[in-house]
Amino acid sequence: MTRVLNRRELLLQAGATLAVLPLATRALADIALQEAPLFAEQVAAGKLPPIAQRLPKQPFVSDLAANGRVIGKPGGSMTTLIAKLRDVRYLSANAYTRLVGYTDKLVLRPDILSALDNEGNRVFTLRLREGHRWSDGYPFTAEDFRYYWEDIVNNKQLSPAGVPTYMLADGKPPTFEVLDEHTVRYTWATPNPLFLPTMAAPQDPFIYRPAHFLRNYHGKYADKDKLDQLVAKAKVRSWAPLHNRMDSMLENSNPELPTLFPWRAVPASSGARIVFERNPYFHRIDTAGQQLPYVDQVLADVASASLFAAKSNAGEVDFLARGLVMNDIPVLKQGEGAQGYKTLLWRLARGSEVALYPNLTTVDPVWRQLNRDVRFRRALSLAIDRHTINNALLFGLGQEGNNTVREGSALFEPSYRSKWAQHDSAAAAKLLDDVGLAKGSGGIRNLPDGRPAEIVVEVDGDTGLAVDTLELITEFWREVGLKLFIKPQDRTILRNRAYEGQTVMVASQGLDNAIPTAGMVPGELAPVHQDNLAWPRWGQYVETKGTSGEPVDMPEAKKLLEAYTAWLRSTDSAQQAAAWHAMLALHADNQWIIGTVAGALQPIVLRDGLANLPAEALYSWAPTSLLGIYRIDEIFWDRQDRRIAKAP
Amino acid sequence: MIAYIARRLLTMAGTLLIISALVFVIIKLPPGDFLTNQIAELRSQGGEAAATKAAFLIKQYGLDLPVWKQYLVWIGVWPGPNGFSGLLQGDWGWSFEFDRPVNEVVGDTLWLTLLVNIAVLIFVHVVSIPIAIFSAVRQYSWGDYLATFIGYIGLAMPNFLLALILLYYTNRWFGISIGGLYDPQYANAPWSWNKVVSLGQHLIVPTLVIGLSGTAAMIRRMRANLLDELSKQYYVTAKAKGVPPTKALLKYPFRMALNPFVADIGNILPHLVSGSILVSLVLSLPTVGPILLGALRSQDQFLAAFILMFVAILTVIGMLISDLLLAWLDPRIRLGAR
Amino acid sequence: MNVITHTKAPADAGSTPHFVDPRPFDPGASEPMANEDERYWRASALTLIWWKFKRHRVALASAIVLLVFYAMLPFVEVVAPYPLTKRHGDFLYAPPQPVHLMHEGRFVGPFVYPYSFKFNLDTFTRDYEVDRSTPQPIRFFCKGDTYSFWGLFDASFHLVCAPEGGTMFLAGTDRLGRDVLSRIIYGARISLTVGLLGIAVSFALGLLFGGLAGYLGGWVDNVIQRVIEILRSLPELPLWLALSAALPANWSPLLVFFGITIILGLLDWPGLARAVRSKLLALREEDFVKAAELMGASRARIIGKHLIPNFMSHLIASATLSIPSMILGETALSFLGLGLRPPITSWGVLLNEAQNLASVNLYPWLLAPIAPVVIVVLAFNFMGDGLRDAADPYH
Repeated sequence: MTRVLNRRELLLQAGATLAVLPLATRALADIALQEAPLFAEQVAAGKLPPIAQRLPKQPFVSDLAANGRVIGKPGGSMTTLIAKLRDVRYLSANAYTRLVGYTDKLVLRPDILSALDNEGNRVFTLRLREGHRWSDGYPFTAEDFRYYWEDIVNNKQLSPAGVPTYMLADGKPPTFEVLDEHTVRYTWATPNPLFLPTMAAPQDPFIYRPAHFLRNYHGKYADKDKLDQLVAKAKVRSWAPLHNRMDSMLENSNPELPTLFPWRAVPASSGARIVFERNPYFHRIDTAGQQLPYVDQVLADVASASLFAAKSNAGEVDFLARGLVMNDIPVLKQGEGAQGYKTLLWRLARGSEVALYPNLTTVDPVWRQLNRDVRFRRALSLAIDRHTINNALLFGLGQEGNNTVREGSALFEPSYRSKWAQHDSAAAAKLLDDVGLAKGSGGIRNLPDGRPAEIVVEVDGDTGLAVDTLELITEFWREVGLKLFIKPQDRTILRNRAYEGQTVMVASQGLDNAIPTAGMVPGELAPVHQDNLAWPRWGQYVETKGTSGEPVDMPEAKKLLEAYTAWLRSTDSAQQAAAWHAMLALHADNQWIIGTVAGALQPIVLRDGLANLPAEALYSWAPTSLLGIYRIDEIFWDRQDRRIAKAP
Repeated sequence: MIAYIARRLLTMAGTLLIISALVFVIIKLPPGDFLTNQIAELRSQGGEAAATKAAFLIKQYGLDLPVWKQYLVWIGVWPGPNGFSGLLQGDWGWSFEFDRPVNEVVGDTLWLTLLVNIAVLIFVHVVSIPIAIFSAVRQYSWGDYLATFIGYIGLAMPNFLLALILLYYTNRWFGISIGGLYDPQYANAPWSWNKVVSLGQHLIVPTLVIGLSGTAAMIRRMRANLLDELSKQYYVTAKAKGVPPTKALLKYPFRMALNPFVADIGNILPHLVSGSILVSLVLSLPTVGPILLGALRSQDQFLAAFILMFVAILTVIGMLISDLLLAWLDPRIRLGAR
Repeated sequence: MNVITHTKAPADAGSTPHFVDPRPFDPGASEPMANEDERYWRASALTLIWWKFKRHRVALASAIVLLVFYAMLPFVEVVAPYPLTKRHGDFLYAPPQPVHLMHEGRFVGPFVYPYSFKFNLDTFTRDYEVDRSTPQPIRFFCKGDTYSFWGLFDASFHLVCAPEGGTMFLAGTDRLGRDVLSRIIYGARISLTVGLLGIAVSFALGLLFGGLAGYLGGWVDNVIQRVIEILRSLPELPLWLALSAALPANWSPLLVFFGITIILGLLDWPGLARAVRSKLLALREEDFVKAAELMGASRARIIGKHLIPNFMSHLIASATLSIPSMILGETALSFLGLGLRPPITSWGVLLNEAQNLASVNLYPWLLAPIAPVVIVVLAFNFMGDGLRDAADPYH
């Protein structure tokens, strides 16, 4: 197993098959299946088929021991918190059940699929597990893929925008074939390296849908009279919005919708507590033949986010990560002893906690020219005393440097983090002199047109850390003769202003995914998205296919674009890694995004007795999918008293 | 009397109509709307499919119509995309944030809001009337100063912080779970004695905090009214004639002093709702307050508009009741053209 | 009181010419008043109010407290021991340093003990240890950190400064190591002016609409009454929320500040307008107004000369009573993240930063801004009570 993991890059190469790991292919007969106590009664009463009939013929066998975990015992419930009802959608990230998904070592491997053949990133053959069932017991087959492709994506009423980007290679959709009941194939004319990483991303695109359920709401299949009645009852205009409402795979808001997740929502939950119960048809088992997940119920209590730390401190949660922040650590630590929980401190896998985005496409001609001057950007970076920021805001535990990938990623190189990131006010001042910003009255430099060099940095007013960081940077920049004005904004307005080119500089989070593998999409680094606030209008140009925004017109940025295009055409991971390195090096040298410190801690509250979560790991949205890749279905109660099911 | 009630009802309807327009305008004041913001947000997170879904809803709920049309559709006098379906037809609209009809979102919270507010009303009266009587009878005594001072402290303390502090200490000292109106395990449970007990415990802090800020004003007015009455001749006569002090006080001056409070039932409500929004937010109470705040922030227009209307209707009804009571008490109001 | 001294009419028969005594008229001539009485009867209304107000001890004390607070506002840079943005990287979340007078049994004058912290990795807190061996005397009228006075010129004169080479955090420091006391003092500038500006707006509106309703009556009165009724039947907080959400978010902090003030004022006027109206209605029937009307005084004169001075004192009293609600309103709005935002510093912003469990049980000194809020609100209330009692000096 470990041997395979070490050769992870190989797995994505042309011709490779993401095969089921050797252990998983072991005949099921070797493992004696055990019924979970929760279901024993129902099985005995004949209400539920026995476990052997509920599992696929070849279930996903999780080798816990090989992963440093222990085989658990089923039962019990875990209480966690969500800030609002809508947040149940994060379950699909945390539960992380994908066609292909990352392991905790970020190796891509089949999960729902039994195998996946990849021919040069062009032809993908997906093999399902025979006997796999939806949570309502209905078989999960190739039909569910066909339904998504033909009746959702290619239905004008349900998908007015057409085929989603990750399904397009060079602008063209794939041909889709059903090979047999358990095999489907997507074929593109040119390579589409976006396909696999998108399947494994925190926001699952769900290229399969429960056809047997959704058919009842589809104009093409449903009985017209019945459907009209349903439409009228739901007070919607046509069947399409009704279908949309029922089809909430991502949002998790419709308890009737069958799922493949480890837990399914129990209907009739009140607005104050959502109850999830284990899915009797979940496809993973442990080596002892016990079906996962171990924990019978997940209880998500709705409470205002500001009370998360307080409720944890009072011992009211078993398990909580999202919603807690570094500043909560002292309070969390304080309650540990008395309330019997532990605060795990994981690292956030971001490129930089706070980064500055000088807008290269700002409309102000003077600022535009200045922001585009690499000496100016380097000066801004050199003038920042990252050590002080680290000490003041991250307890001195963060990593100082550029906004780039982190140690732990195979793509990391020390120079990416350190280049132009050492605090050197004198060098910064010299660079600014070279740019031609002479000092005016009060020691503040003047712009070429005579205005004082006052940089308005806009920031989402809700992120306290960014505002605090800017307060510190204000001091550092004043030393080199630049004045910084912090302008807290509403997030939506900030974004719209940036899209229009109104912002001069924005402070926001750095790279979301700072522990990428070569196979992950380097889209955050390339001028192709308008929400990268260093070049919103370039990104707009790409995203709107040239109808608005402006084309990339700087040679260095064009190089970025070239590298990104190379990645998009790549057929193996060596090409992909080369593209990544080219882009990372360009970023470090050009300082398009000015990083500060990375590596804030993410506190995770875990009740004593809950086992199988690592004490230290990386936490992020992408690629870890919050706690997703750490497989929370393997967490169990190592305490007899908590394994007894409580009333929800 | 009937003519008076009819006239009063008619003005009430007019007032509500104007309020509804006002509410709608206020909600539409900030630029943009929920769905366009949502679409941008989803796009930036890479949720293309979800963004498409949201774009659907814009048409579905007529957000592409001009504001005045949206208003008319909302109150139900203009055919919307689904025909006549507005407040008048009993359709409270759709909440985008919760992706559910408004009545499902606010359902439980409406009566919990009423519950909290009634608890507060009772608290305010139970506390302030005895204190007011005491400090009126013992004017300028130490007790008077102390009582007034405590009342004022309640008024002067920013109540969201008071709530936070009390929340923490009631948990620490009495083990009452943090936030909410009952322990989480009762959330989906049917009503039982334990659930009621839990509810009662969780009502203590909000009642105290919201109530304290209203108590001072109540004490101040009650005391002033009583002092006025106490200086009147009939009271002096009664005392001189040897009526026992308690009886002399409670029989006439107290009842007279209570009168103006009847007139205030309607007015108190909006204040209490305002106070309860902040406190509910801090304490994470399932009342309309936090929902309203969230709805206003995310521009979930139908939800926000409905809640504001709900409060306005309560107030207007409260005012009606107090007017009717007054008219019944005082024929001059009923007959005269005020 | 008016005693007319008659002189005997001349004995001339026939015509009796109208006689006017050429001597100056002195009403007090026949019944000379005692000095005290004299002073009382001759005193202007304002003086009378002042006398009556003075008797209300608590109100007087409150007024003095407020006077001190407001007198400080123009000079916060001098009063605060540290400039607003001064950070102390080695003193994050430092607890307050108490002021001592006696060191090892002898009098040293006001001084503080220095302290330093060790980072505790188990609890993730900074444990401060006080060094009791070296007292550091606090300096007065001294040169401290440089600040820019009103953004006009740089100066470094402070009323109180930290000891030479030491620190003086009388109310502790926050997460960036900024002196909480100094921030409170700077915050006063915003928070206290919000109340005044807001009340000015509401006062002007209340006077205008109340005046129109009360004096013109008729349909104007009816319309204004309805508007007031409608405004009062909406809870004020959602209105604040909605209106401040409607403030263009790209406004500069200063504009936002004014916007908030105006919103607070816009929603406060109905109370005042009602007071003005009812007062006007009552006064309109008074004899002196009738008399002025009969004498042919113009409307403007009647309002300006007779009516307004008559109830101004009342209005000021009720305005005083609504300032605290504006101050609390600002804290509430900022708390909700809809009002002012850092880096602007107001009491509301400070309280917003303090509204978490960590402040309550680990860094309680961050809750210190409660104290000035409570003091000011109380003071305004007591002063308002006193003013109201004193407003009617003839009763």
